Amino acid sequence: MNKPRRPVLVVIPAYNEAATVAEIVRRVIAHAACDAVVVNDASSDDTSAQAHAAGAAVIDLPLNLGAWGATQTGMRYAQRNHYATVATLDADGQHHPESLPAMLGALEQDGVDVVIGTYTQRLSVAKRVAWWYFRLLTGLPVQDFTSGLRAYSRRAARALASREASLLDYQDMGVLMLLYKKGFHLRELPTVMSPRKSGMSRVFASWFVVARYMLHTTVLCFARLDVRGRIAQRVVSRAGAGA
Amino acid sequence: MVILVSAVLGIALASVILYLVRRDHLHGSYALWWLVVAAATLVVGVFPHLVDRLGELVGIAYPPILAIILGMGLILIRMLLMDVDRSRQERTLRRLTQRLAILDQELGEARAKLATLESPPAAEPAMPRKSAQVIVLPKSGGEG
Repeated sequence: MNKPRRPVLVVIPAYNEAATVAEIVRRVIAHAACDAVVVNDASSDDTSAQAHAAGAAVIDLPLNLGAWGATQTGMRYAQRNHYATVATLDADGQHHPESLPAMLGALEQDGVDVVIGTYTQRLSVAKRVAWWYFRLLTGLPVQDFTSGLRAYSRRAARALASREASLLDYQDMGVLMLLYKKGFHLRELPTVMSPRKSGMSRVFASWFVVARYMLHTTVLCFARLDVRGRIAQRVVSRAGAGA
Repeated sequence: MVILVSAVLGIALASVILYLVRRDHLHGSYALWWLVVAAATLVVGVFPHLVDRLGELVGIAYPPILAIILGMGLILIRMLLMDVDRSRQERTLRRLTQRLAILDQELGEARAKLATLESPPAAEPAMPRKSAQVIVLPKSGGEG
């Protein structure tokens, strides 16, 4: 019953990104030499047609599930089609598909389960303060919590495709804490990112949304306080190994 | 007079709940919960002094408050259970939506493959039409 595993699937969640999605898909296929699936999160523009024309497989969600719901759909698609590795990338042009080979290489060479592409220079003061607060709350040793540029091993992708991860809303603290809870190893890789070409941040859209996001995530962090101890242990042991 | 009013209210509420359960508007554990509520409403409505007795028994200075406290407690428990249930439903709904979309994508891909198999090559336009009639895809049913 064991089907041959396909190598890499790049999941591109997209909500009203018709202006940029086709170019991103073409660059992914050209530079990363892998399959691409665009998860169209019930867009009202022609994101789906653009992505399809560019050569990606397109999954059209009938309801808007949010950024994480769309990404998880891609993870489930990868599971179903036996992909060995899953990478995720935003469709708005912030992330460079050219950085995928380096990330996939780091995933393989460093023996970690998750590689997060970060570009800390892009962080605004508000984001820096928010991330400092969440680092304090969770103990997560991560510079950029919301970066959607990531590469996951098959095991990590399988854990994130599970029911347990289905009530999360963003690919951030909840996802990272779940990965730590399951004992996966994470690594951040500095990359280059561009300012967003179209669309807008779903997290930092307005003050009301920011306030709601901060409140929800704080509650989530408190609900997962048990993970905090494990993260602290891991950080200490890593520091010990490095010394 | 007071007893009559409470009895009428109790019987009316119990009747409505029974009617809804019988007509299948409430299912499973919800039906059981509401049947218990209907029974309690009926008993307390017809015999309101039971609450006074019970209050005296447990040493409450103003017995009618007992019914209010119990009622509010049960409402709180019910609301909490409702939110737990809503979260479970939300999780299921999201999983179903994802699965539906993935299956839809696979169906589209399979149909496209079938169409390329069915369509005659451009170089041989004189292919008999019969071969194209062999496989007929069933049309998808009602939109869900």
